Amino acid sequence: MAASQVTVTSPAPGRGGPGGAAVPRGLRYANRSLALTGTGIIWIALLGPVIALVTHLSWHAITSSLSAPGAFDPLILSVESGAVTLGVLLLLGTPLAWALARGALPFPRVWEAGVLASMLLPPLVIGLLLVFMVGPYTPIGHVLADLHLSATDTFLALVIAQVYESAPYYVLGAQAAFSSVDPRLEEQAALLGDPPRRAFRRVSVPLAAPGLAVALTIAWARAMGAFGAVVIIAYHPTALPLQIWTTLQETGLPSALPFALVLLVVALPLPIAAYIWSARARGRRRG
Amino acid sequence: MLEADVEVDRRDFSVRASLTVAQGERLALFGPSGAGKTTLLEAIAGLAAPRRGRIALAGRVLTSTGKPQIALPPWQRRVGLLRQDPGLFPHLSVRDNLLYARLRRAGRADLGELAEVTDVLGIAGLLAAMPARLSGGQAHRVALGRLLLAHCDALLFDEPYTGLDAGLRRTLTDLVVSLVAQRRVPSILVAHELAETQAFADRIAVLDQGQILQIGTPSDVVLRPKVRRVAELVGYTGFVPVPGFAKIVAGVHPDRVTSGRYPERGLVLEGTVTGGRPSGALWEITIHAAGATIVARLPEAAPAGLELALTVLDPPCFSPDGMAVGIGEWAGAPR
Repeated sequence: MAASQVTVTSPAPGRGGPGGAAVPRGLRYANRSLALTGTGIIWIALLGPVIALVTHLSWHAITSSLSAPGAFDPLILSVESGAVTLGVLLLLGTPLAWALARGALPFPRVWEAGVLASMLLPPLVIGLLLVFMVGPYTPIGHVLADLHLSATDTFLALVIAQVYESAPYYVLGAQAAFSSVDPRLEEQAALLGDPPRRAFRRVSVPLAAPGLAVALTIAWARAMGAFGAVVIIAYHPTALPLQIWTTLQETGLPSALPFALVLLVVALPLPIAAYIWSARARGRRRG
Repeated sequence: MLEADVEVDRRDFSVRASLTVAQGERLALFGPSGAGKTTLLEAIAGLAAPRRGRIALAGRVLTSTGKPQIALPPWQRRVGLLRQDPGLFPHLSVRDNLLYARLRRAGRADLGELAEVTDVLGIAGLLAAMPARLSGGQAHRVALGRLLLAHCDALLFDEPYTGLDAGLRRTLTDLVVSLVAQRRVPSILVAHELAETQAFADRIAVLDQGQILQIGTPSDVVLRPKVRRVAELVGYTGFVPVPGFAKIVAGVHPDRVTSGRYPERGLVLEGTVTGGRPSGALWEITIHAAGATIVARLPEAAPAGLELALTVLDPPCFSPDGMAVGIGEWAGAPR
C-alpha cells in the first residue's frame, strides 16, 4: 500500500517547523548563533545609556545634588503636569482612537496623518510653531488672556507642550488596542441590550485595556521626558527635563546625572508595571 | 409572533421576504450561500436597515419604513442572535457571560434561573471557567444559555453549528428545539444543509437570490417542490422527460429511486449503469436513462454496463417554465 511507504523524517532536536530538515546542521548552528549575537548587541546598545548612568553615578553626587533646597520642585511639577496631560489624553484621545479603529470617521487616512504629523515633527519645531499658535499675540492667546490665562511660561504651557509630544503615542497605541477588539463582540453586547456607550464600557474598554494601559504609560514616559517643545514655550516653571538641562549648563555633567536618575525612576516604573499587568490580564483571559 | 415583510438592499440584489413565525414556532431559512438568508436575520435583529418594510415582534413594531418611521436599535429589540462564532466575551467568566444581560447584581431569582439553565445545558460545572478554556460545543452551550437568560422575544440562529461534528450538531439542535418549545418564542434558523433545517424546523422557507420560493413543512419542500429551482436546491439532481407528456419533466432525487418496476408508485425508467461509488452505507450509481444522466443511491452495487429498471418514486413534475404540474397521486400522473 502506498500509505505504508511514506517515510517519516524526524526533525533535529530543538528545531521544528517546515523546511528545517533541509538545512545542514552546521549552517543551522552558525545561523542561530549569528542571530543571537545580533540580538545581544542591539539589546546591550539600547540599554547602554542606562548602564552608563548607573556606573557613573556616585552616592556623594546624588546626596549633594538632591539635598539642595527646592531640588524636588521640578519633579513635583513634572508629575503634576504629567498627570494632567494623561487626563487630557484619556478624555480627548480615547474617542479619537476608537473612531479611527472602527473606521467611523470620513477620510480616515487624513485623520491618521494628522495624528502622525505631531509625532513626525521634531519637538523643537512643534515648540516654535506653538508660539505662533497659542502665543500672547495670537487669537488663541487673546482668548486665553481674556480668561486670565497664558500659554507661555506657565503650567498650562507645560501641559500643552507635553500633550503635543505624547498624544500620538497614546492615540496610535489606543487605536491598535481597539482594533484588536472583535466588532462582533460589540454587536453581541448590543443584541444583549447594551446601548453603544454601555457596550463600550463593558466590552470594548476591558478588552482593549491591556493595550490601552501600555499606550497610556508610554505617553506618560514621553510627557515626563518632554523637552523640545517645553524648552520653547514653557522654560518656566522648570520641569524635570529642563532642570537637567539647566544644571548641565550651569554646573556640568556630574551634578546633572542625579536628576537624570530621578527622571528615569519616575518615568519608567509605570510603563513597566503596565506591561506586566497587561501581560497578566492577557494570561487570565487564556484561563 | 414575529412578522417580517421587508426589502433589504445588498450589493448584488435585494432581498425580499415576507414571513410570519408564531410563538414557539421554528422556521428554517434554507438556501444556497449568498441567497440573502443572513441579511434577512440581520434586518430582524436591527443590524441591517431595510429599504422598505415592516417588522413586528410580540406586538411591538421594530422596523417600519412607513409612517411613523420606526427603526429600533438592536439593544431595544430583545432579539437574540447566535452565529457560528459563539461570541462569548473573553474577559468574562462563563458565569458573567451567562448573566451579561442582567445589569444589577444577580438576585436570588436570577441565581435560581441560572442554576436551572446551566443544569439543562449541562454547563453547571463550567461557571468559573474562562471562555478560552471551553471546547466548541461547550462554548455554544454557554452562548445559548446567555440568550435564554437574556429573555429574548425571538431567537435567531445563523448556521450556529457549522464546523462542529455531526453528533454534537445533532445534540445541540435537539437542545435548541426543546428549549424553544419550552420558551414559546418564535425562532428562525438559517442553514444551507437541508438535513439540519429538517431536524430543527416546523416549516422551511426556501430562499434563492433574495426571494422566498416556497414555504412549507420539511417533507413538503422535499416531496412537493413548487418550482424546479426548489427541487434543485433540495437535492433533485436529474430531470427526465415523462413519456406521453410533451415538454414535462420529472425530478429525480437520488434517495427516491428504487430498483424494479412499480408503475403504480412512480415513473419507471430503463437505463444503463455508467459508474458508481460508495455513499454512506449505500451505493451512489450514475445511470444513463431516457436521454439524461441520473443518480440513484441504492443498497447494492451495480457494475457499469448493467441494464437496469428503476422506479422514481412519486416524482414531482415540471412544465418548461419551471412550475410544478400534476402534483400528487402518481399512478397515472401527471394530469
